[in-house]
Amino acid sequence: MVINKPPVQFALAVITVLALPLFLSSGILAGEILVFALVVAACNLLLGYTGLLSFGQGIFFGVGSYAAGILLTRTGIPVGVVLPLAAVMGATIATIVGALSIRQSGVYFVMLTLAFAQMFYFLAYTFSGLTGGDNGLLDVPRPTLAGNYLVDPWPYYWFVAVCFLVLFGAMLIVTRSTFGRTLIAVRENAERAAAIGFPVRIFKIVAFAISGAVTAFAGGLHAMLIGVAPLSNIEYHTSEMILIMTIIGGSSSLFASVLGAGFYMLLADALSTIMPRWLLILGLVLITVALFLQKGLWGLVERLWAAITHQRAPAQGDTLPDDLTSGKG
Amino acid sequence: MTYLFQILNGVGLGMLYFLLAVGLSVIFGLLQFVNFAHGAFYLLGAYLTYDLTQRDFSLWLAMPIAALIVAGVAALTEAVLLRRIYKLPHTFHILVTVGIALVIQEFVIIVWGPVGGSVRTPEILSGIIILGDFIYPIYRLFVIGFTVVLAAILWWALEGTRLGAILRAGSESTETMSLLGYDTLKINTIVFGLGAGLAGLAGALAAPIRGVDPFMGIEALSIAFVVVVIGGMGSYVGALVAGILVGVVQSLMATIWPEGARLMIYVAMGLVIVTMPRGLFGRV
Repeated sequence: MVINKPPVQFALAVITVLALPLFLSSGILAGEILVFALVVAACNLLLGYTGLLSFGQGIFFGVGSYAAGILLTRTGIPVGVVLPLAAVMGATIATIVGALSIRQSGVYFVMLTLAFAQMFYFLAYTFSGLTGGDNGLLDVPRPTLAGNYLVDPWPYYWFVAVCFLVLFGAMLIVTRSTFGRTLIAVRENAERAAAIGFPVRIFKIVAFAISGAVTAFAGGLHAMLIGVAPLSNIEYHTSEMILIMTIIGGSSSLFASVLGAGFYMLLADALSTIMPRWLLILGLVLITVALFLQKGLWGLVERLWAAITHQRAPAQGDTLPDDLTSGKG
Repeated sequence: MTYLFQILNGVGLGMLYFLLAVGLSVIFGLLQFVNFAHGAFYLLGAYLTYDLTQRDFSLWLAMPIAALIVAGVAALTEAVLLRRIYKLPHTFHILVTVGIALVIQEFVIIVWGPVGGSVRTPEILSGIIILGDFIYPIYRLFVIGFTVVLAAILWWALEGTRLGAILRAGSESTETMSLLGYDTLKINTIVFGLGAGLAGLAGALAAPIRGVDPFMGIEALSIAFVVVVIGGMGSYVGALVAGILVGVVQSLMATIWPEGARLMIYVAMGLVIVTMPRGLFGRV
């Protein structure tokens, strides 16, 4: 389907970046949507392309915000170095967590990633000298670029937007590369991929590393956006939220993740102002999505597109297969 | 003496962890279903106990009622909602049960408030036992005694009864069971209710020890996962041994390094995974 082709996906990302300022009054909210769009796309790289349902994405997000927070508040290292360093930290930890978790498959794998998420939460909680414990790291500064402070939310939004487009584009290239196509083969049938001679374990770990790097980079962006590296970024809830956004968006293409993140953030923003216990509604939304909208929001878009262009069901071949395989077996 | 106290304390805690994990493990064994709402059933059990004791029910009555209500709610949820999604990939099991967990957690906050509270123990169980320089709360001894008896009954039910045989056979092949004329739908509902009821009972037993708060479910869920991962999926003995191991580690570390006590649970899990990827008693 043409809307799943990388150039179209990238164009949709550009449109999103340009459209958010037109419809939102808060630069912080707009920035958060893009940050989570990145995080969710990185989660989708594991879920949609590799078939790995990771409940530990909050680890990398939290590690990224702590790394950026610590470097920015305690050293004079410029942002242009801080964010790549955060990404390297994220990739390193994702490699370790990934390598240990993929020793189990299916549900055990999910449980392991969740248990690792708890481990890192308690690490951050316990070593409060480094992380600020409950309070988080305060006063994380927004970056200076070419002498100008990007202190105000909207100028900073554009900084986030550029990072988002670059990383989103990079992830699109990864999914189109031989490596990305092999990941799909691994997802579809790990035994056969191994039999052909692909180093399945290594591929899964590399997918984890890429996902961790992007997530941690986004974590760094987030810490600068809200001025804090909070403990909640590494909490179970963040991992859960990232996964929920990923599945709500759908996993048949990367822009689905942007859609999922945007939908979730806007829903949360709208509901939480009218109802403090809005998570109750979210719970019902999740059940509804699982029962009636199994390809996520992007599945709806695909169906709509098929109706407009009078195609039949979403074509296979140039897109990913439609079913969500989440580590069966 | 401190260490002996902490070890005994850890055994009590560990038996609660075992109750939590064994339900999760049995549900997974039979239904191949990951229940992320398991912690929420524990939460509900704790809060129902809290509510009933607030209404002057004795703890003796409040606990079984709470566990039964949880079992009923879970069985109903299974019959209405979950059986529709067994055939879907795990992703959707997780999505639905995370949704259920959120609904229960927010329901608890709406009904009982976000603050939490404490549960009084009855006269007989409050107070302490003093044996030389060894001092121990009676309620915790009761928890150990009660869960040991319950664990023995469960083991007998799984290994020595017809129902247990059906459950074990069902976890091997559901098709065969239905061919033999068993109503697998009904069995699934019963098992789900039973497993969730055990989680509810663990919550009811834990409430007088730790009090109640709306976020105790998540902690319980991750501990249940750790116990299952360490013990090995589907292993009754594994859940028991790992439950006690985790409880004792947490309890001992609470004296040695209080801030890191809960961290050490996960470190212990990491060590087990590195050395034995399938857990201590894993079958597959």
